[in-house]
Amino acid sequence: MPDGDWEDFAFEGIGTQWEISTPVPLNGPVRARLLERVERFDAEWSRFRSDSRVSALARRPGCYEFPEEAQRLGSLYRTLYGITDGAMTPLIGASLERLGYDAGYSLKPSGSPLAAPAWDEVLDWAGTTITTTAPVVLDIGAAGKGLLVDLLAEELVAVGLEAFVVDASGDLLARGPLPTEVALEHPYNPAQAIGIVPLAGQSLCASASNRRAWGDGLHHVLDGTTGQPVGTAVATWALADTTMLADALATALFFVPGDQLQEEFDFSWLTVFSDGSAAHSAAFEGTLFT
Amino acid sequence: MAGLSLAGTVAGCAPSAADSAQGAPAKSAAETTAATPSAAASSLAGSGSTYKDGTYSADGSYVSPNGSETVGVELTLAGGTVTDVNITQHPSNPNTRKFQGEFAGGIAGQIVGKSIDELNVSKVAGSSLTSGGFNQAVEKIKQEAQ
Repeated sequence: MPDGDWEDFAFEGIGTQWEISTPVPLNGPVRARLLERVERFDAEWSRFRSDSRVSALARRPGCYEFPEEAQRLGSLYRTLYGITDGAMTPLIGASLERLGYDAGYSLKPSGSPLAAPAWDEVLDWAGTTITTTAPVVLDIGAAGKGLLVDLLAEELVAVGLEAFVVDASGDLLARGPLPTEVALEHPYNPAQAIGIVPLAGQSLCASASNRRAWGDGLHHVLDGTTGQPVGTAVATWALADTTMLADALATALFFVPGDQLQEEFDFSWLTVFSDGSAAHSAAFEGTLFT
Repeated sequence: MAGLSLAGTVAGCAPSAADSAQGAPAKSAAETTAATPSAAASSLAGSGSTYKDGTYSADGSYVSPNGSETVGVELTLAGGTVTDVNITQHPSNPNTRKFQGEFAGGIAGQIVGKSIDELNVSKVAGSSLTSGGFNQAVEKIKQEAQ
């Protein structure tokens, strides 16, 4: 990474490709520990597996105890729910399923867009305890991948590593003294970049309105108040101290302008619009090709 | 206590309400997009199988907010490794063409793209709109080049 000569540990987890780069190769026990952490996360939070806790929640309302990471996730989602007027919600799962993004990947809308239920009507998320009064499809997609990046970084720190880069298919965390030069992918051409950001000790995540597109005009960033996909911005980047925050805020930038989000969160942002213009905070000054 | 531990640590829940409901384990489905283009390219090169030298091209399809698009991928193989990659976007959808045109036009004071190959970077932060289409095209080329 920083010297271009690091060792990569690549694997697949939560449906995406991962690459962890370190100055020396990770040994077998550390690799096993990382994979085990990924599996534990998936077993709790995936709405695509019938044995997950989230699937249990979808089948039957009640009180469920989630692992430690539920605390930070719930509090972040609650703040975002407020600041986006309900547009960003973990209760969007049923809306995604209605539009065809279901466990069977039918990719066919099964009805008109479905608005997410109001948080306070069906959900009480207190620390690690989630209590529901109706069957809900919990989808933590806006922050889950970033959260898992942070959890894997914690595992690496726990075994004594100080310098590493975690790359979850374009969502990145870098630790160590030297910066990693990161290209910002062109929204319409993955062979091109629109800028370069040096990443050190922070996380950088991207989101795009077209990232998980599957049908005409239907894409994965949904407005929870209407259940409809959102438009205008085509790509966003967020730079923050945790990957969970960067991941979530990259999505939030589709609903709330960056300068407004900055009043609530300590982070840097870049939004690219469909006409090729860009808006950004100070940290992205001078990073874009113009 | 055995029953309780099945339901997780029930600190915040009444024991009767919690339901660990173990169903049959299902295959974890994809939650995000496929691998990045570079990962796909290197897996072709490093797969150990032998491919015939030559230049191959194939199309893959992806779906943009503006509808279905195709991406053209051209790979040059020599001695089992990829020596050149060219991506041609041939958008059929007028909106995509319009957006690409606007990007290509280099709006004054606004952003332009540079080829990632020419940049000294170790990582790419992005969402790889076309990565699915790219990987699809690479798969076709792998079969063609056997």
